Amino acid sequence: MQYMLRNLLGREVKKGSAELLILALLEERSRHGYEIGKLIETRSDGAITFQIASLYPMLYRLEKRGLIDGRWVEKAGQRRRRYYRLTAEGRKVLRTHRSFWHEFLEALDRVARIRHA
Amino acid sequence: MPDVIDWRAYVRSQLPEITGDSARDLDIVEELAQHLDQLFTEKRASGGSSDEAFAQAARELLDHKLVREIRRASSANTSAATPPSMRGAHVGRDFLQDARYAVRLLIRNPGFTSAAILTLTLGIGMTAAIFTVIDGVLLRPMPYPEPSRLVMVWETDRDSGTSREPGSFPDFLDYRQRSRVTDRLGALVPFDASLQPDDGDPLRVAALAASPDVFEMLGIRPVSGRSFTPEDDRSGAPPTVLISERLRAAAFAGGSIVGKTIRINDRLRTVIGVVPGNADVGITQLLRAANYGGGFAARDPRLHVDVWAPLQGDERRWPRSTHPILLMGRLRSGIDRGAAQQQLAAVAADLEREYPRDNDARGVSVESLQDVIFGPVEPPLALLMAAVGVVLVIACVNVANLLLTRGTRRLREVAVRSALGAESSRLARQFVAENIVMTMGAGVLGVIVAIVLVRALLAIAPGDIPRLADVAVNGRVMLLAFAVAAAIGVVFSLVPVAQTRRGALQPILRSENPHASGGHDGQVFRAALVVAEVAFAVLLVTGAALLIKSFWHLRSTSPGFEMSGVLKAEFELPASRYPVEQRPMPTSPAILRFNDALVQRVGALPGVQAVAFAANHPLDGGFASSFLVVGREEESRNWPEISIRRVTPGYFDTLHIPIVRGRGLEDRDADPKSPGVLINQTVADQFFKGREAVGQAIGFFGQPWRIVGVVGNERSQGVAKEAPIAVYLPLAMVPSSAEALIVRSSGDPAALANVVRATIRELDPRLVVFGLEPLQETLSKSLSEQRFLMLLLGLFAALAIALAAIGVHGVLSCTVAQRTREIGIRMALGASAREVIGLVVLRGAAFAAVGLLVGLGLALAFARLISGLLYGVKPTDGATLAAVVLTCAVVAALSLWLPVRRAVSIDPLVALRQE
Repeated sequence: MQYMLRNLLGREVKKGSAELLILALLEERSRHGYEIGKLIETRSDGAITFQIASLYPMLYRLEKRGLIDGRWVEKAGQRRRRYYRLTAEGRKVLRTHRSFWHEFLEALDRVARIRHA
Repeated sequence: MPDVIDWRAYVRSQLPEITGDSARDLDIVEELAQHLDQLFTEKRASGGSSDEAFAQAARELLDHKLVREIRRASSANTSAATPPSMRGAHVGRDFLQDARYAVRLLIRNPGFTSAAILTLTLGIGMTAAIFTVIDGVLLRPMPYPEPSRLVMVWETDRDSGTSREPGSFPDFLDYRQRSRVTDRLGALVPFDASLQPDDGDPLRVAALAASPDVFEMLGIRPVSGRSFTPEDDRSGAPPTVLISERLRAAAFAGGSIVGKTIRINDRLRTVIGVVPGNADVGITQLLRAANYGGGFAARDPRLHVDVWAPLQGDERRWPRSTHPILLMGRLRSGIDRGAAQQQLAAVAADLEREYPRDNDARGVSVESLQDVIFGPVEPPLALLMAAVGVVLVIACVNVANLLLTRGTRRLREVAVRSALGAESSRLARQFVAENIVMTMGAGVLGVIVAIVLVRALLAIAPGDIPRLADVAVNGRVMLLAFAVAAAIGVVFSLVPVAQTRRGALQPILRSENPHASGGHDGQVFRAALVVAEVAFAVLLVTGAALLIKSFWHLRSTSPGFEMSGVLKAEFELPASRYPVEQRPMPTSPAILRFNDALVQRVGALPGVQAVAFAANHPLDGGFASSFLVVGREEESRNWPEISIRRVTPGYFDTLHIPIVRGRGLEDRDADPKSPGVLINQTVADQFFKGREAVGQAIGFFGQPWRIVGVVGNERSQGVAKEAPIAVYLPLAMVPSSAEALIVRSSGDPAALANVVRATIRELDPRLVVFGLEPLQETLSKSLSEQRFLMLLLGLFAALAIALAAIGVHGVLSCTVAQRTREIGIRMALGASAREVIGLVVLRGAAFAAVGLLVGLGLALAFARLISGLLYGVKPTDGATLAAVVLTCAVVAALSLWLPVRRAVSIDPLVALRQE
């Protein structure tokens, strides 16, 4: 039961935080889709993973909204890959996300005491 | 499994919808292929076999929503992204899902759901019911061919100022011959027909004699047999008749009636055809519109024409001096009413010159038939539609307030769901689905309510509303009900949809108050809604109060005679058995013998105090004639026509009409050498001011009549109208075939009805007795339109004020809930119960006061619009407005009671612990 609950929560929270995660990673530098997915997995110690079915639709949505910009880049010695970079609009939205999540977590903490006292 | 895999081909094979035909598709295929390739390579590098690595990579493409998600996310035009065959299915599936969720949500909140659906059901149901009547009466096209070309051609009388008079038969022939603006001109004359059915007692039915053009213009086609031809209409032609399907079914046995002879008014006529029951649409209304000569329609607007006869006009029977003919015409194509009026007025002027004695001061007035038929009912129906619209608005405002209250509680849920990733558009679609499910449910129930209400409306509606019998809830009404419901659902969704923006939700998450309402704006909006509700309710209550007062005035207006205890019975003595000779005044020994015998027999019945006869009963206007005062002939040239009332001497005692001066009528006043008459008070005041009327002579019917007395005024044209100028002459002097027997009873007059009918039938078994009822009932029927409006508007007003009270109560309850902590703190700091009550009452009183002021302003404007429907009451009647203010204040005070009680009973400790 607890496993199911964790699964459900995990799915819901992942859906809500995907945008934040992707924008934050692109803030550092441009990356391609596989790299983004891999980084999220490694930096979260495997807690958060994205498969093709969730990662690429999210990337394409962000691109359609003008928050990231994708282009084919051929680097020396490598095959042509599609790299995504953060736009100015994307930076603004990232700031909003960070602020929202900060407040949200504070609110959760006030109600549900999620951090140790 | 090989180590080098063509991942592009694999992606295309697994996702055939991504065809790769566009540049974008190629990009997607390439990108996904690279991802899978890199995944496969890593898995191989970490020691997995080709098969295992391939399987792991391939699992990534198994998600069946992948294509849809990619298409939706990547394409600029989502309609191009989703194949057309799938588009409708997605939208439909989503909506069904949302609808199912909405139903579950509604079931989980029975209190809210029942209140909201009940309120909307009443609003939508009432609106649909009134629209059903308006649609059936006004909006449906008339059954006549080209109704916009049909006109009534009235004659006018400059002297009496009347503008809707029937004309003479010779005038009709002249207009028909000389008119250049009509392609058809027909004549109609109403009459009453006594006919003998196959079984049972003789029947009295409404009948119309008409020229063949009338049938052509009204598009009347017999369902069996044939219509009249010009040959049938010739004077002296064999008597023929058309009967209605209704009469045919009610009075005659099976088998074909066409070709059979039936006895009508003691004359055998051959039935040449049967016409549909609704062939007389509008006839009653145009007959009632005439200044006189409306026949059966003036007596009872609910009657339908069951017998149609050819006019068979004859100048000897109908000379130019008599005016029984109603003229109906069809304008030529391209001719408008103005041009027709001009040309026919020129004909009227010619006739006035050619026949100065008979056509003096007579003109013509051309009026659209549709205006004549529908003109009287448009204002009251418009009033009802406006009133029910106001009720619907109030109902919607109430439900909007309920939704806002519920929305407040759901905002936290929505905020968390939004934070967890739910898209705004998805949430918005869900809100729309929830509201539409609720309002459409109310729409369906509303249609059922409308069906029931329409039946009730038809039962109490006044009989002179045309086409009422065909009114029923139909597809168009249902469509309106569902369209209104859907529109309300969409409008209700606007606020929660706006609230799904993240910016609007953040304060909710930050707030500690479980009743956080999304800000000050939300509260102001709700307060404005409640004020609007109160204002609209005041508007309706004022309208209803004015109509109620008006009706009360009408009911309490004295008609000039004593009605209680009086029974009337009407009958027509057929000329075949009661001939009337004209020499030179009409005389009929047979009628006089019948009257004398009947008076004796009825007078001897137990319980009968007094008996009289009249050619027209007290509430029947009868006919009018021009008159003069002997010695003042010049002066009387421009006088209006005087109502001629033929009565027996006992009439005034029977009805307790006072003799003001002189004496009452006596038998000797029927002496042709020196006939005597009574005039009413109005005649004395208007034409004998400062002079003694008794002893003077008044002239009409071509001879002088001695005034022997003055009587009190009788409101013979209905209590709403002032008594007309009237002269009373002895019935024996000018006998009438159509008579009304007036009987005063010591007890309940209805109890005498059967025995009176039996007594009349004893004297003449073939007579049809009709209109047998207490005079009180006759009066009551005459007020049916005012009663109808008063009842409906009263119902709307009661509902409106109840809804407004609920609205005020709801908003104040919410305020108390929101300010619980504040109130708790105040009480902990020593605030008294009175101070707490003041907090709540002040707010409620503010709503009520502002709503009342705005409502009174609207009501004054509204009252001016309905001033034509009021009697004896000014639109700005102070007493009525004061009563409205008092009523609304009391209702407002009642609506405050529960919230005040709640506020006063707050426990400060519990309130403070809310943190």
